[in-house]
Amino acid sequence: MYFKLTHFIGIIIAPLELKMNKTFSYQSSIFFDEYIDSKSSPRKGYKRSIDFFHSLSPSERVYYTNLCESSISSMGVTFQLDANELQDRSWPLDLIPRIIASNQWKLIQKGLIQRVKALNYFINDVYNKQVFLEKNPVLKELVLESSNFLPECMGITPKNKVWSNICGTDLIKDDKGKFFVLEDNLRVPSGVAYMLENRNIMKRVIPDLFSSYDVNPIDDYPSQLYKCLSDASFNTKANKKIVVLTPGVFNSAYFEHSYLAQQMGVELVEASDLYVSKSNNVLMKTINGPKKVDVIYRRIDDVFVDPKVWRKDSKLGIPGIYNAWKNKKIAIVNAPGSGVADDKAVYAFVPKMIKFFLQEKPIISQVKTYVCAFKKDLDYVINNIEKLVLKPVNESGGYGILIGPQSSKSELKKYKSKILDNPRNFVAQPLIKLSTSPTLINKKIMPRHLDLRPFILSGNNSFVTQGGLTRVAMKKGSTIVNSSQGGGSKDTWIAD
Amino acid sequence: MLSSNAEKIYWLSRYIERAENTARLVNVNFDLLLDIPHDSVSDFIHLVEITSDLEQFNSILLDEKMFYSSSVSAVKNVVLNFVIYNSDNLGSISYSLEMAKYNSRYLRTMLPKTAWEQFNKLHAEFSLSNKENHNTEVLHQIIRNSKTFFSTISDAMHRDHVFDFIKLGRFIERADMLSRIIEDQILRKDAKIPKYYENLQWMSILKSVNGFESFKKINKGELRRSNVLDFMVKLKEFPRSIIFCINRLIAVTKYLPKSENLKLKLIKIKKQAAKLNEKSTDKQILAILDLLQLSLIDLHIEIEEKFFNRGPV
Repeated sequence: MYFKLTHFIGIIIAPLELKMNKTFSYQSSIFFDEYIDSKSSPRKGYKRSIDFFHSLSPSERVYYTNLCESSISSMGVTFQLDANELQDRSWPLDLIPRIIASNQWKLIQKGLIQRVKALNYFINDVYNKQVFLEKNPVLKELVLESSNFLPECMGITPKNKVWSNICGTDLIKDDKGKFFVLEDNLRVPSGVAYMLENRNIMKRVIPDLFSSYDVNPIDDYPSQLYKCLSDASFNTKANKKIVVLTPGVFNSAYFEHSYLAQQMGVELVEASDLYVSKSNNVLMKTINGPKKVDVIYRRIDDVFVDPKVWRKDSKLGIPGIYNAWKNKKIAIVNAPGSGVADDKAVYAFVPKMIKFFLQEKPIISQVKTYVCAFKKDLDYVINNIEKLVLKPVNESGGYGILIGPQSSKSELKKYKSKILDNPRNFVAQPLIKLSTSPTLINKKIMPRHLDLRPFILSGNNSFVTQGGLTRVAMKKGSTIVNSSQGGGSKDTWIAD
Repeated sequence: MLSSNAEKIYWLSRYIERAENTARLVNVNFDLLLDIPHDSVSDFIHLVEITSDLEQFNSILLDEKMFYSSSVSAVKNVVLNFVIYNSDNLGSISYSLEMAKYNSRYLRTMLPKTAWEQFNKLHAEFSLSNKENHNTEVLHQIIRNSKTFFSTISDAMHRDHVFDFIKLGRFIERADMLSRIIEDQILRKDAKIPKYYENLQWMSILKSVNGFESFKKINKGELRRSNVLDFMVKLKEFPRSIIFCINRLIAVTKYLPKSENLKLKLIKIKKQAAKLNEKSTDKQILAILDLLQLSLIDLHIEIEEKFFNRGPV
């Protein structure tokens, strides 16, 4: 009885505190903000969350932040900054959630499934009949010359014609609040374990706010992943042996590898745990002797998978596994060679692929991309270079990028000549003004830029996560959201 | 179960048990020194001898001569720092916990979440402990946290091979450390400790293994060397007796594949330990303990060959 009474008083007090905190300074800007509109009033669905965080006194903010940090460290949610050092960092989670209306998300899910389907058809076409490539000779040249194209994969068709069973697609919002696809990660996308753990931490730390929303659960991801992996095997037996292949504890994503293996109840292995027998079976060394493996969820780059075929110096791979794969004795997920489709030039052709392979119109827009291999695009890029973001086709991780509006005249001139020397090596995009969200920075609530990485699974059926991993740039004005460069994350709530 | 994981879980368990037992060993010596009023400098050096490598210890000293003539509290600080915190010292608690941490990184998928969190806590609290202020709190903390880790395992863990290898590692390590604790006390007798203090010694060794109360229950007031030895080596009901450890190991072999040979070896060890009796001389006791330690090494090699090195056939 007494307990209920105090609880009741707590509810009455809250709105009073809210009024006292009306002097809050979070204002709208030229960017689209997830929480407030251009008049600085809360958007629909965001009011409860914003009220909750506004009502916190500075000491309460410290309290919640500390609680969050201690949960993260006791749950052992870590990542590594430097691959050579076994220094674990606690995962950076910002307590202010990102909220997306569930009807909006349903459409995004459809759009992502459509996109990944087309991309998988495309990869299968590249390694088989090349019909789409024949129709797009410029693309054909780009693809066949790309280092991501693995000729050894020609003639192979994985189960269900799916090459990228697990895809992480990065979405951004522009200054109008419209979703765009920024890039598709079709090789070994990471981040899903952090998405799952963010949710667990939020439930521990701010259960009251969480329960005031009707948030769609995300915790069935591991079982969906298990099913997706199981679907990839040509073996027809009921219980397939699945393993997660990790490069080892020194890898920055090792936490995720072990987390997913545990959540699926499968073995986490390193290359030294596996070998290929004379009959092309892949075997795992156990205390009971060798055991046959059906599916490998690889978390190493494809060229490291088999030192006999690709990188000869690879110690992360299993000699002979290429033959086992080719003979359908083992499923490798994602299939080697799938990286051919997350090339920046290939990205420009995705809307065309959707039309060609599915006879549909793209549901989600993507950023307008000028492929300098086309004369028309090249002319536009050269004349408008100061407005554009320039990207080399073969680089990843942000290397070699030039941001036109932020560069000096001499830098632009230098880059121009680089493009003219080898136009095929470059694409260009307009600069997108990334959306912002309130974020707790040193006890204050400040706007910070963010993106979103949902995960798309393709097996016998397709599956898209409820939301995904929201990554946030913690530095003012920065758009770099990578955790290795000081980025943080937010829990993403798909709610009615 | 993967061979490589079996190996890691076995070592994780051994290193945590080793850290705990080293903490107990340091603690009992520390305790004893409070009571014995004599040349304590050499007693602290004795602590280095039984846990670590004396040569390595001497090599870290700036000036050996000056060190050995310095005050007891100065010596105490250097020794405790070496035995507890110096991770270059393979016998230190710090080294054991670092190795446990290294193995644990691979084992997130195999341990219950609560046990994993408890190990992180054990490691974090030790890392954060005050390296300057040498009181026994850090030792008690390790003992407490290690106990909680293992009880979480017994309480929450699915009985599978992971569990078996935890036990295997834990009880081999414990039997080995017990034999060293006893050996240490026997050897100490040679040193110039007055007869009067001998009982005190046996009392603190019992305390170090949490056995003082149960010993009293069985032996009433009578505390003699032979009683204590009998209790610590042969009492099958006491969890920190050598025979208890061997019995647990024998019980584990039942669940492991192709472990007949392992079982035979254990039964042989048990027979050797049973030779110890009231009339055993110091020399005989030391010989028995020595043989025990060698047999445990042999046992480890057997485990390594049988379970950890399963390559292509």
